[in-house]
Amino acid sequence: MAHSKIKLPASATIVLLFGFVLLSLQLMSSATQGSSELGEMYSWLLVINTLGSVILLGLVAFNAYSLVRELKKKEAGSRLTTRMVSLFVLLALAPAAIVFYFSVQFLHQGIDSWFNVEIDRAMDDALELSQSSLNQRMTWHIKQTKQMADQLRDKSEALIAMEVGSLWADSGALEIAVFSNQGRVLASSSVNPSDILPHLPDEQIWLQLRQNKEYFAFDPGDNDEMLVRIIVAIEADQSRFLQALFPIPVRVTDLADSIEFAFIRYQEMNFLRDSLKTSFSLILLLVLLLSLLAAIWVAFISIRNIVAPVKELVKGTQAVADGDYQQQLPVMNQDDLGFLVESFNQMTRRIARSRDETRAAGLEVENQRAYLETILANLTAGVISFDAAFYIRTANQAAYRILHIPVSHFVGETLPTLATLHSELADVLNAIQSLLEKADDIWEQRIVFLGPNGRQELLCRGTPLFSQHGARTGAVVVFDDVTDLIQAQKNAAWGEVARRLAHEIKNPLTPIQLSAERLQHKLSKELQDGSAEFLQRGTRTIVQQVEAMKRMVDDFSEYARPSKKQVEKINLVDLIQEVVALYLPSGIVFSTKFASDRVLVEADPVSLRQVLHNLIKNAQEATSTPCRIEIKIAKVSRNNTDYVELGIYDNGNGLNAEQLETIFDPYVTSKAKGTGLGLAIVKKIVEEHGGVIWVDTSYNGGAGFLLQLPVFEFGNFK
Amino acid sequence: MLCLHIAPGKAEAGEYAARIEYADLEHIDDGYDVQAHIDYRLSPTAKEALHKGVRLTWDVSIELRQPGVLWDTIIHKHKLTYSLQFHALLNQYVVQTPFDRSEMFLTLSAAMNFMAAVHDSTPIPAERVTTGTPYLLAVKTQFNREQLPIPLRPVAYLDNQWFLSSAWYTWPIQK
Repeated sequence: MAHSKIKLPASATIVLLFGFVLLSLQLMSSATQGSSELGEMYSWLLVINTLGSVILLGLVAFNAYSLVRELKKKEAGSRLTTRMVSLFVLLALAPAAIVFYFSVQFLHQGIDSWFNVEIDRAMDDALELSQSSLNQRMTWHIKQTKQMADQLRDKSEALIAMEVGSLWADSGALEIAVFSNQGRVLASSSVNPSDILPHLPDEQIWLQLRQNKEYFAFDPGDNDEMLVRIIVAIEADQSRFLQALFPIPVRVTDLADSIEFAFIRYQEMNFLRDSLKTSFSLILLLVLLLSLLAAIWVAFISIRNIVAPVKELVKGTQAVADGDYQQQLPVMNQDDLGFLVESFNQMTRRIARSRDETRAAGLEVENQRAYLETILANLTAGVISFDAAFYIRTANQAAYRILHIPVSHFVGETLPTLATLHSELADVLNAIQSLLEKADDIWEQRIVFLGPNGRQELLCRGTPLFSQHGARTGAVVVFDDVTDLIQAQKNAAWGEVARRLAHEIKNPLTPIQLSAERLQHKLSKELQDGSAEFLQRGTRTIVQQVEAMKRMVDDFSEYARPSKKQVEKINLVDLIQEVVALYLPSGIVFSTKFASDRVLVEADPVSLRQVLHNLIKNAQEATSTPCRIEIKIAKVSRNNTDYVELGIYDNGNGLNAEQLETIFDPYVTSKAKGTGLGLAIVKKIVEEHGGVIWVDTSYNGGAGFLLQLPVFEFGNFK
Repeated sequence: MLCLHIAPGKAEAGEYAARIEYADLEHIDDGYDVQAHIDYRLSPTAKEALHKGVRLTWDVSIELRQPGVLWDTIIHKHKLTYSLQFHALLNQYVVQTPFDRSEMFLTLSAAMNFMAAVHDSTPIPAERVTTGTPYLLAVKTQFNREQLPIPLRPVAYLDNQWFLSSAWYTWPIQK
């Protein structure tokens, strides 16, 4: 069974507390007046109220300590609570202290005003008057008693017994008695016949009597009456004493009692003057303390209740500031603060929804961007984007592959800056920069430049980018390396020419040659010696030229014919050494520099041998002085593929800029007898083997060619 | 005389604290009568208050205890209340005895002497006391601050001028 906890609402607790405080203070106030039975409980009420004050002080101190700790921890709402509590305490304490001060002043002055010299003197005089009146009455009764004693002196006990009655009747005393110094009653007479024994003196009276021979004093009688007891010695030897009890008139007694009561009361109040002040001040202080402490404690509770939603709001705001938009605060009350909390909850819900939407949109944009980046990265065309100031923003992988520089590492730089760092690309980069700056619309341009791999031709297309408002925001340049494409187009064209030449020229050559030989055969015997010799020279020339034309046509056919490679793994080093050995007798000085003595490539050995022959012959023919050829083999990596780089350098005249552009074109030759197909065939064979060849423009000692072939195995470095 | 006088079991600290000088049991017809003598000492403040009309009250407590291992068993207890007041008109001191009797004295010492001699007229019944059993007779006098005027009470609890009570004084009694 679940336990149910009965919890009083805060307001009921506060009302009960204040009720208890007020009741306690009222009881103590009533007790102070002394007019009620609560006087007996005064000390307990004082202790209870003091304990209550201490408990309240403890509660207030605990709350204040907690508040200070919260302040040190900079907890939410602590500063607002402190300000409100401080304000409340100030507002409550100031008027309370003023009221307390003036109340105490008024109280002290009021108490002091009860007493003055005139009243003191009047009270003393009144008491003295009463005492004089009583003393006068006593003096008269003493005289009267002594006269009676004189009448009884020297008389026998029997005579005394007879006269006592008449003396009592004449004196008006309540009782007259004669007794010996041993305390034996000799005679007595009383107004009350039932009193057999007179009121004999006690020990103390006897003591005084023996010392002073007489005794007189006021005695309390029965029924709150007052008596005058007078005892005198009858004889000089104190053998017998006469005791007379005289009544004080009731009126006199009442008046004397009244005066005495007033005097005593006044004296007591005068004596208690300081105590009264202290006591009233204490009560006032307790009232003030209890009220103030209770009010401050209740203020702590109330202010904490008020600040609680604000505290929650501050925490919620901090959470929102930290990015937690799931904060939903409890709505405690349907008041203004409750409305504020509800508004906060609505705000966080909307922010969370907006955040989710923004995040989704951002994710979509990111996906799109990643998709575009993937596309760009996998494009064969190089793409470089620029901002409005022509600083590089992005560059794809193809740009690196085409330009051979990691453009993406230079984001934030300009093309001229890039050109200064890579001088071999300065022409193309500056050309693109110039086009970018000038163009207001889409542009397209072919740019030829000498790159690290030789002559390259780029087809560049530029597109300026504009914002919706027409402001220029940047540009995109897309470029493609069309070197191979154009070369292929050229090769195809030249192949077609060769095929047509072979078809159109070679066919008539055989009849021409046969006809010339037949003419020689038939007419040589019929002609004279001179004519026959002329004919023979003529037909020989025809046959020789036809043979030459046949060889030329065969070369063309060879160049145009698709290759028939028989690929096998060959050691390039061995192949080079074989070819070089053939040329050693011709006086060419070879120097080799191989990174390894085992470089396996998958290639047609015949084709590769022709490549080497053509390059060595080319160097030999281009060199007039003693020919020196340097052959180098190195390993390079490009696009995650290992290549063997073969360099062949001569000490000839080198190549000029014009030659560089057409050196690998067919029918281009600087030699008188050359067909111009040597280097074209070399390039064709190299490309058929998946390699590239270009002129090493950095070499200035003659002509240098670099060719790269995919390597199957590259042995250990020497 | 059946009791045995030995030095009191406790001493009281305080300049004006009363002291129980002796106490004993006196055998009477139907029981035992308690007799004791108390030395009351009035501080100057108490004397001044008395002469200004403040009534001073003492409660004399008497207990007959049977000693135990852990605690004593009280087999008889009685309280006697004395009050002392100054009669300004007659210039005498009035002692109100426990038996609703007023005694007037010309001097303060006479009044104090009267109060000092405690004579409990309510005897301890004889059947409560077993022969041969050791007992303790405990006496103390307690100044009753709650009988003072209300404004004086808080001060009386704090000012040693009003510390007029005695501690418990015990005497072993062997019947």
